[in-house]
Amino acid sequence: MFNDRHMWVKIILAVLFMAVIVFPLSVEVEASYTITFLFQAFLFVAISQGWNLVAGYGGQISLGQHAFFGVGAYATGIAWMAGWVGFFDPLAFLLSTIAPAFLAIMVGIPLLSKLRGDYLSLGTLGLGEIMKVLFTQGGRITGGATGLLLPSSSYDTMMPYYYLGLGLAVSSTIIGWLLVRSRIGTAWVCIRDDEQAASACGINILKYKILALAVSGALAGLAGGLYAYNTFQIMPDDVFGLQWALMPVLMTIAGGVGTFTGPILGAFLLTGIFQLTSIHLPRIHPLFSGTFIIILALWLPHGVMSIIHRRQK
Amino acid sequence: MTGAGVFFQLLINGILFGSMYGVAAIGLSLIFGSMEIIFIAQGSVMILAAYGTYFLFNMAQFDPFFSLILVLPGFMLLGFVLFMALFRRKDGLNKYSSLLVAFGLMILLENLMSVLWTPDTRAVITSYTGQALSFWGLDISITRLLVFGLSILATLAVSLWLRLTLMGNAVRAAIENPQAAALMGIKTPRVKAITFAIGIALAGLGGTATAASYSFDPTFGFLFSLKALIAVALGGIGSVTGALLGGIILGVLESAGAYLFTGVWAHAVSYIVFLLVLMVKPEGLFMKRTRSA
Repeated sequence: MFNDRHMWVKIILAVLFMAVIVFPLSVEVEASYTITFLFQAFLFVAISQGWNLVAGYGGQISLGQHAFFGVGAYATGIAWMAGWVGFFDPLAFLLSTIAPAFLAIMVGIPLLSKLRGDYLSLGTLGLGEIMKVLFTQGGRITGGATGLLLPSSSYDTMMPYYYLGLGLAVSSTIIGWLLVRSRIGTAWVCIRDDEQAASACGINILKYKILALAVSGALAGLAGGLYAYNTFQIMPDDVFGLQWALMPVLMTIAGGVGTFTGPILGAFLLTGIFQLTSIHLPRIHPLFSGTFIIILALWLPHGVMSIIHRRQK
Repeated sequence: MTGAGVFFQLLINGILFGSMYGVAAIGLSLIFGSMEIIFIAQGSVMILAAYGTYFLFNMAQFDPFFSLILVLPGFMLLGFVLFMALFRRKDGLNKYSSLLVAFGLMILLENLMSVLWTPDTRAVITSYTGQALSFWGLDISITRLLVFGLSILATLAVSLWLRLTLMGNAVRAAIENPQAAALMGIKTPRVKAITFAIGIALAGLGGTATAASYSFDPTFGFLFSLKALIAVALGGIGSVTGALLGGIILGVLESAGAYLFTGVWAHAVSYIVFLLVLMVKPEGLFMKRTRSA
């Protein structure tokens, strides 16, 4: 059993999971930088798992997760400002899930209904830009370029964020896993591997592609909603920032596309590396990220998980 | 200015500006067609060339258009080196990791230029920069007109090369059907290397054009890549004239959008048109309907 490298990965993940559950009990939560770091990593795990469903299982490369993240953040922010929801309101999280999923369906129909899948990458990349414009021009509803200032007096402790983030990371992994194990996941993999054959077998390609994009949008949006409760200022340049689209792509590919442990490993590894370099090597940091991405892509084109798969063969 | 005057002025501004999107789009279209890579770093490579032109002008008094003599071969060489270093590997690099390499290159170039040359906005100011031809009440900037002429020349040169030379035919074959092309004895890695080098040289041309007629800063590249990608989609992937026309249409739309709508709304116009085109004619505006696989 211990020769099985997959087993080792599972054991390591289980130990890590236990560690992150008990970790806040062992430190001064409000003063700890690690808590904030982990919270961020949890958000990235959720967005990465969503992207992994579209790209790793559905075979469609979306570059617009920042659009969904931002819409999710604004959904919570606008609803809170309007007084429809309160602090940590389940209804707000529901809104942050439905709004980006709806957006994903609306852009998915024109972008995915055509045979060339490349258009999804082009279209979604532009989607984030157009959303930034729309929300900057939103007037009183969105607060314009300076964004929405939420009642930050609601903040009490980092604890609920930490555990909600952890819950989001875990549930996004479980949701993804359940979907991939179901008939839906089988359809996704069929489409990814051979679209024409899948179509010939009677799989409704458009429906399943849109479904994947909508689920990934919902997960990114939910992460955005939680982020909104944490920052208290929602600015278009921040929540529609390209990093929310690029980092999850990078993390998933770095960890291993089409695996469930890959996005988790990638999110922790890269959040850690980028945070450490920005703290300890501030002068090199801007050059480091680009170089690191290139080296990683050349050296491990199939991600960290491929080391484990390769050795096993 | 009369209504018609405004209309024609906007049209001309749009056509002249759009021709630069067109040049970048031709390079992207070639690279995408032969290598299946969305080379998102194209805009950043352009800005690198713009800096090259800027420094040649400010330090060696090179005329920006004359500097093409150095920029074009230099960037073709750069393209070749980049290909050898990053995209040569036959195995391993899949569509995910090649996308990552392109993204990494974009981030690296953007940050490198910011660190080396500060994020300040730059522009090349020559003795003739501000001058314009005036007729029928319209103003046409000389530098922008020259840039437009260059784009037409570049498009012509690339299309003639693709049609008339053996290598060009090999490139077209490899774009249309890589497997069949390889079976016919076409050395696809070599074809890819040459196409990539030409794509980067076109980015160099676009960069020189940017420096000669507009202002730029290191972060300008990403937006330019985005617009060039939209131009490619409008014109149809793999079509050279289509890419130029796609760029020009985009330029006209943006110039009209900037006049009709206030502020940042103008940026949204191009994307909305892009979505509409995808819905109505997904293979591009200038492509014949063919069997897609």
